Amino acid sequence: MSMRPIQLNVIDLPKADYTGGPSSLCPGCGHDQISNVIIQAAWENGIAPEKIAKMSGIGCSSKTPAYFLGKSHGFNTVHGRMPSVTTGANMVNKDLAFLGVSGDGDTASIGIGQFIHAIRRNLNMVYIIENNGVYGLTKGQYSATVEKGSKKKKGATNENPPIDLCKMAINLGCGFVARSFSGSKKQLTALLRAALSHKGMAVIDVISPCVTFANNDESYRSYNYVKGNEEELHTVDYIPHFTPIEEVEVPEGQFEDISLFDGSTLRLETLGEDHDPGNPVAALAAIHEAEENDKHVTGLLYYDSEMKTADEALGLTDTPLVDLSEDELRPSKAALKELNQSFRA
Amino acid sequence: MADIVNDFTVNIATANGTGSQSANLILLHSMFEMGVPVSGKNLFPSNISGLPTWFIIRASDEGYQAPGDVTHIQVVMNKDTWLADVEKAEPGTIIIHNMDVKLPVERDDCIVLGMPMTKMARSINPKLARMIANMYYVGGLAETLGIEESAIASAVAQQFKGKEKAIQLNLQAISEGRDFARENWNCDIGYSVAARDKDPNTFLIEGNEAAALGCIFGGINMLSWYPITPSSSLAESIISWLPKLREAEDGGATCAVIQAEDELAAVGMVVGAGWAGGRGMTCTSGPGISLMSEFIGLAYFAEVPGVIWDVNRVGPSTGLPTRTQQGDLTMLYEASHGDTQHIVLIPGTVDECFEFGWRCFDVAEKFQTLVFGFSDLDLGMNRWVTAGFEYPNQKLDRGKVIRTQEQLDAIENFGRYRDVDGDGIPYRTLPGSGLEPILYRGTGHDEDGVYSEDPEVYAATVARLKRKIEGARDKLPAPVMREENDKQVGIIYYGSVENTITEIDDILESTTGMKVSTCRVRALPYHSEVERFIAEHDQVVVLEINRDGQLFGILRKELPVEHLSKLHSVAFSDGIPPRARVYAEMILKTLSGDTKEVIV
Repeated sequence: MSMRPIQLNVIDLPKADYTGGPSSLCPGCGHDQISNVIIQAAWENGIAPEKIAKMSGIGCSSKTPAYFLGKSHGFNTVHGRMPSVTTGANMVNKDLAFLGVSGDGDTASIGIGQFIHAIRRNLNMVYIIENNGVYGLTKGQYSATVEKGSKKKKGATNENPPIDLCKMAINLGCGFVARSFSGSKKQLTALLRAALSHKGMAVIDVISPCVTFANNDESYRSYNYVKGNEEELHTVDYIPHFTPIEEVEVPEGQFEDISLFDGSTLRLETLGEDHDPGNPVAALAAIHEAEENDKHVTGLLYYDSEMKTADEALGLTDTPLVDLSEDELRPSKAALKELNQSFRA
Repeated sequence: MADIVNDFTVNIATANGTGSQSANLILLHSMFEMGVPVSGKNLFPSNISGLPTWFIIRASDEGYQAPGDVTHIQVVMNKDTWLADVEKAEPGTIIIHNMDVKLPVERDDCIVLGMPMTKMARSINPKLARMIANMYYVGGLAETLGIEESAIASAVAQQFKGKEKAIQLNLQAISEGRDFARENWNCDIGYSVAARDKDPNTFLIEGNEAAALGCIFGGINMLSWYPITPSSSLAESIISWLPKLREAEDGGATCAVIQAEDELAAVGMVVGAGWAGGRGMTCTSGPGISLMSEFIGLAYFAEVPGVIWDVNRVGPSTGLPTRTQQGDLTMLYEASHGDTQHIVLIPGTVDECFEFGWRCFDVAEKFQTLVFGFSDLDLGMNRWVTAGFEYPNQKLDRGKVIRTQEQLDAIENFGRYRDVDGDGIPYRTLPGSGLEPILYRGTGHDEDGVYSEDPEVYAATVARLKRKIEGARDKLPAPVMREENDKQVGIIYYGSVENTITEIDDILESTTGMKVSTCRVRALPYHSEVERFIAEHDQVVVLEINRDGQLFGILRKELPVEHLSKLHSVAFSDGIPPRARVYAEMILKTLSGDTKEVIV
């Protein structure tokens, strides 16, 4: 029996060079599927692992950089402030590929200001939001992306409208805005590969249902594992084991109902061929129309590759600033002499 | 009238936004040009236009730089503070006023000199009359004090660099002011300036600009900032000097500048730049430090280098945004939750603003931690004399950064947080190098940077961090000391108190015969020489511009207990740069409470 050769990417690396440590998230968590997609996309794109910088904030999603790209440096920063750390790192090393992973609490609440300003500057990075509408690590509070009317088994109904991060990104002029689903491996891989190739800010909002805390029947992120066993539902140290959501690929221009952990459904619609991703009005219309019909539209919503990135706008020298020599960083003795003299004049 | 030469204080009351700052700086610079030891303090409001501003110019052959205790010449231009300014004047004060402000100057006990400044200004340029009116008091003062024509011309040229029209217009106004004074005033007011030998190397500069230039010579690669008084001019100076001093051969920038959305983002960018191997810096004031505190803790715990300049203004809260204080010291030293300790470099002169500007980066990279430059509004935004900045006396210290596989192989059992050398400072590799990549984190981590909640690992990590910063003590700028043979009383102080200490010292000696030693602390954690100074003196006063005695508190916490009984706090802050007599009296009062024999 001949051994199957290990498959290598364009820079002759096996996929194993892109994997990370074992996940400590709840079994079945959509975030782990996204981590796998990140591994796949980075490998397929043939980016050298050491040239990737993994950035995150705080939350379940922000823990995931430990579970992929083990040969890349990373920074699990503070809550909601991943974009600013990425900005500083990007300014001094523009040759790195920055991959940010955040959650809906991290981005839509505490970090919304930094999210907005990173888009405004067109920071050259991929910004993935693993969006489950809930604060997982603090055990189940609503986040700002949860739908209006969402009701917990115990506690109040959410009366506030959700913040749609894709709408917001499009309105802010982000050059790459996409929405996908953690279970749509093929679509998400394609989107992430495109995002990694895009120069400038690429936002991908990934619906990633929480297996543990999205515990209401009406929500598409709902969870109702043990019907008639409410006590256990709210016993937070009891984490049921789920099989991850089966892969689902919705053909272009069509929609499909996805069964979630509790048997409720999530209706995903894939943008059709007729969608013009160069038109922000069409992109916003697609989101609004899907919303009216209780659907979630996925795919590349908006794309514009012509914008200057933050580092380009600053006119930085060609060499990444971290690689500059002492001579380039410290003006000469003669320069100081001249400077002193200019003040004396 | 008996003539007092080079020893008087002029207080000029104007409204801001009226161009008075130019007039005041021309006065200051013209006297400086003549070699008169002079200092200027701008007491300005938090406002764009219309609120009261006072500019205090003190001439002193003794070199005293604090605002004087007494105003000898009061210029009144501002109708809003007119009555109070006039009323506050001590008997005998020279009051120079704009006669076109139709308000009374009813002081028979003062010498009152009026000039129709606005009317005269209107006759040479009706549009700019309000601004040019200020040049008439410059002319009047120049005439009465005897400021040389050539010095005025040079100061005007410096103020309006290259703008020939403005130079001519303002010179004309000053000249007319002179003529008016000569013809209408009794110019024998009893105060005058006399030229002194001026060191041709000297010039005046704000501390913020000096610090900015220091940062540029320190190899700054990333400046992120959020505007806040009194630190904005530090960032703006860096921005204006970068193209002249730091352009790369391809014409590109070697320092990225980002005006951040807030202070949290500004410090986040500093942390990002430091993590990636660059020299990142931000500048702010107290309210900004409050906001930055979470990130400061991350940088401390994850061991990421970075620099923050705090130009202190009066707190708490929004406080007095345009006034000076040393109220942030404790906050800087222990910023962020949990046990932390940060290195603080404290310049007391513009020369040190420049030096610590570059040195902060070396210290930050050497110790892999955030380093503060601690200045204040008085030092940062007023103009001080220097004989020229000195070139850094050492190469850039990039710290323990492993850049090659060979360097990595040379270290046995490498781990990002392993104390290989026993000095508490581990080695680091940079993103992009592919060498021993780790996921940096603010959560508990072991010597390899792997997440850990292990009690022993945590305790060992924070103990090493303490050891690391402790090891910095004697590697930071040593205190500047002046020690008397008789070691009865020592005064410990820091920062901009430097501008007042000589006068305090002279007042203490002239009133009580007491000879005090002085010790200016220039860094935290404080140098071992500070402890020696305390040990060798019978009584030690810690003098500072705040309410609570913040350095006193730090010393009391860290000094051996046997020294504590001799340590006294003299702390006072009202927003105004310290007046020598106020502090001297507080020192005497404090010492008399404890040691009666000190007071003669």
